[in-house]
Amino acid sequence: MSSSGSRAARLGRSVLDWLEERTSIVSMAEHFLYEPVPSRGRWLYTLGSATLFLITLQFLTGILLLFYYVPTTDHAWDSIYYMMSQVYFGRLVRGIHFWSANALIVVIGLHMMRTFLSGAYKRPREMNWVVGVFLIFIVTFLAFTGYGLRWDQEGFWAWEVGVMIASYTPLVGDWVVTFLLGGDTIGPASLSRLFAIHVWLLPALLAPLIGVHLFLLRKHGEFGSEFEYSERLARLRERRRLEGYEEER
Amino acid sequence: MAGELQKDPVSRGQFLLLGGLGTLVGAVLTIPPAVYLLDPAIDSVLRGRSDVPEVWRPVGSVFEVPGGGVRVYRVEFPQRQTYDGGGGLLGEGTITNAVLVSWRDGELPPLLRGRGGGPLSPGEVRELSGRLNVLSNHCTHLGCPVRYFPGRGEILCPCHGGIYDINGGYVGGPPPRGLYRYEFEIRRDGGIYVRHEFEGGKPYVV
Repeated sequence: MSSSGSRAARLGRSVLDWLEERTSIVSMAEHFLYEPVPSRGRWLYTLGSATLFLITLQFLTGILLLFYYVPTTDHAWDSIYYMMSQVYFGRLVRGIHFWSANALIVVIGLHMMRTFLSGAYKRPREMNWVVGVFLIFIVTFLAFTGYGLRWDQEGFWAWEVGVMIASYTPLVGDWVVTFLLGGDTIGPASLSRLFAIHVWLLPALLAPLIGVHLFLLRKHGEFGSEFEYSERLARLRERRRLEGYEEER
Repeated sequence: MAGELQKDPVSRGQFLLLGGLGTLVGAVLTIPPAVYLLDPAIDSVLRGRSDVPEVWRPVGSVFEVPGGGVRVYRVEFPQRQTYDGGGGLLGEGTITNAVLVSWRDGELPPLLRGRGGGPLSPGEVRELSGRLNVLSNHCTHLGCPVRYFPGRGEILCPCHGGIYDINGGYVGGPPPRGLYRYEFEIRRDGGIYVRHEFEGGKPYVV
């Protein structure tokens, strides 16, 4: 390394040491970022982090969209059109929100599949699986309510169909529908509720559940024993071979 | 023991007191926001109120409804759902419904053949009222807008393939019943009027 390079490295290290001494930021970052994973299928263990990244992206771009979006029936679509056609980088911000929401659903599906196939839902990680299932419900409902906020033909009819699906809920179907619509017909109150649910209610439920999900992950660690199956099987065979050898003696 | 939370024994009285206080505090904390959020449901489901006032709106004329087909009309109903910002407690907007109008089995009533207008007698109004279908265009499955296909003589839903006959009766597919029928009346001049009321249920129309 050149002398200027080593000087820069020394400077960087001293800055980090200074920060670590006062805030513990380095050790906290290490604690937060590093998690041992099984050697097989290791890239598949990044799907949870990818999910977290995409959700963070949703929060950030969602906040940006709020600066222009107008949640009223006569202005909702116009405000989105304005954002897309007139605002600098409006198309980019909304595009990231839209596509990362789509990607989020796919990545969560893959993450869930990996958890299932690697057996990472087994004892003592059952509760984390349950929390994950709640999270996917919330994210799905977020995607669905976000679809309706556009208040264009697609979003509108999707919302109508979704509400009608809710009307089939046993015993409380009428209550659920009128709660979601804000009345007995679709109108301005429906969009207000859609907006409140998408922007406040669901994120407020999502954020603490993500915290619980991460806490339980840290508590129990990653496992995924099924990915280690062939190795464990080899060890088992080896042990049996040795035991058999012991018995013969 | 690792899972033990309370080491001191709790007497029955203490337990009941804690339980009662907990219930009270829980009720005070949850009932107001729950009722606040469920206000529209309470109004609609418990008190039977609707966002759309009970007014008769004109649709068209019986002389315009063809034999062997369906005529589609757009009807605007007043809708009171939110604060209007102008001093009124409930803003008066409108809600547009598509209404499918046809004759029973597609057959033009004999008394209308060769007749282009004119006043109707009370007997004629009665007869025509028994032969007219005034249907909501919302599929009873999940609310998608249905459409009449003249070639098949059936009303079809584009979403999940619900099929209805020209009278709105269920023919096939996932819908649980036939199309919702509006309450309507025919007036002496042949005008058809509808209310935002439906026979046998609420379609939550848009």
